[in-house]
Formats: sequence, C-alpha cells, structure tokens
Amino acid sequence: MSSPTPASATPTTATATSVAGSPSRLAEDTAQGKTTISASVVQKIAGIAAREISGVHSMGGGVSRAFGAIRERIPGGGTGASNIAGVQVEVGEKQAAVDLDLVVEYGASIVDLARAVRRNVITAVERMTGLEVIEVNIAVNDIHLPEDDDEPPVAPAVTPAPSRVE
Amino acid sequence: MSGPGPETDALALAVAEVVVADPAVARLDGGVFGDVATHLAGRKLVGVRVDTDPARPVEVGVVLHLGTPIPVVVAGLRARVARVVGARPVDLTVSDVVPGPVDAMVEL
Repeated sequence: MSSPTPASATPTTATATSVAGSPSRLAEDTAQGKTTISASVVQKIAGIAAREISGVHSMGGGVSRAFGAIRERIPGGGTGASNIAGVQVEVGEKQAAVDLDLVVEYGASIVDLARAVRRNVITAVERMTGLEVIEVNIAVNDIHLPEDDDEPPVAPAVTPAPSRVE
Repeated sequence: MSGPGPETDALALAVAEVVVADPAVARLDGGVFGDVATHLAGRKLVGVRVDTDPARPVEVGVVLHLGTPIPVVVAGLRARVARVVGARPVDLTVSDVVPGPVDAMVEL
C-alpha cells in the first residue's frame, strides 16, 4: 500500500492513498447483498476532481485512444471499464484505476499540477465511492497558450453545409 | 419457478417508494440493459426487481446526486429498504451520478 504505484512517472501521493486506505468497502458481498458502483460514477467524480485544479485547461486529447483497450489491471475489473472525455477508469470490486488526459494552461508547473490533480482525484474518488484508487496516470497532451483565446476554435457547424438532397 | 405475483409487485412498489424518498437519490435506473425492472399491469417499474424466490436478492438500481459519499448513501438506502423487505438480501447498483442540488425533485 505504501509502496509507489507502478507506471507513474511523478512521485505518487502515497500518503493520500494510505490515509484513506481502509474506506468502507463497497462491492462487498455480504448476507445483506452486494453493492456495485458503475464505472461511469467513478469517471464523473474523477473528471470533476481533476477540473477543480486551477491550471487544468480542459480534458481529453487523441493520445488516449491510441492506447486502445484499457488494460486489465484489476482483478474482477473486466466489465467496469469506461472511456469518455479524457477520463478512463477501470473499476473492480474494491479498487479503481484512473487515466487522465489533460490540456494544461501555459505557466503552470506541470509536475506540480500533475501532483495536485492526482492527489485531488485520489481523495475525491476514495471519499465519494469508498474504492481504493490504486493508480492515477496522467498524460498531458497539450498546453493552452493565452493567445489561443484570441481566435476561437472554428466550430465545424458555423456555416451550414449545403444540403445534398433537394 | 412461478412468475411474479401480486406480492412481489407490491413489494417492488414499496421498495421503489422508499428508495426515491431518499433525497440523495436522483432516480431509479434499470442498469445497462434496463433489465432491472418490474412489469406491472400497464407499466414498467424501472430500477427494482423482486424475485419470487425469497432467498434471491432484491435488485435495486439508482442514480445518485453527487455531494454525499456513496457508502453513506448506500448504508442509508439499505436501512430504508430493509424496513420493507426485512432480512432479504438487497443487491444495490449505483449506475450513475448526477451533479446538482440534493433537494431536486424526485419522482417515482
């Protein structure tokens, strides 16, 4: 638990993980019945927690799709995979893993930013779901420059395409 | 195995009622395939399924409002449902969360 999680380039916040190390377990199978938390729940919470950090401009980017299917990192996590809007999660019975794709603001220290995002995501997911977050992998896909705001991105549907049918 | 009867329908309705009464619950949810449901006369009650076999768990699917830790909400829901179903096991699935006020309108 206190050992660094694998596949993380920056130092992991082992303290955050171990402090909330024994949250009330959810998907436990007791005589009362079992509780299941869907992957989209973890995904939304992780996305909100990441965006809370100032310096995160937006989320998403094409790189994550190039990795293809999410690895089977968690026992029992086969069906709990989900992928939308720069947040990929895998949810097992007691654990969750999160992959984030970020676009950061120019001027932010990316290392500090990644550390803050990771800490906030771990805290939020562990507190809100009771699942242990085993890793948060962060990919910074792009940097957002202030002058990018001068020319708003061209919306694809600004000029309606001529109708192809009469 | 006999089909669902009036007793299971009534139990499903009672479970649905106490579940949506929880302010943290946004709505009931039928899961990925919408299969967690009870077919009543004239309508489908999505989000609760009561098996005729009393040893089988009662299935409940919910969408919750963000704000309260899910384990806390789940414990509260289990207590509410237990008042209706007794000692029968309950399989509870949190299929989604929605942001927004916890006091938002809930409807059965």
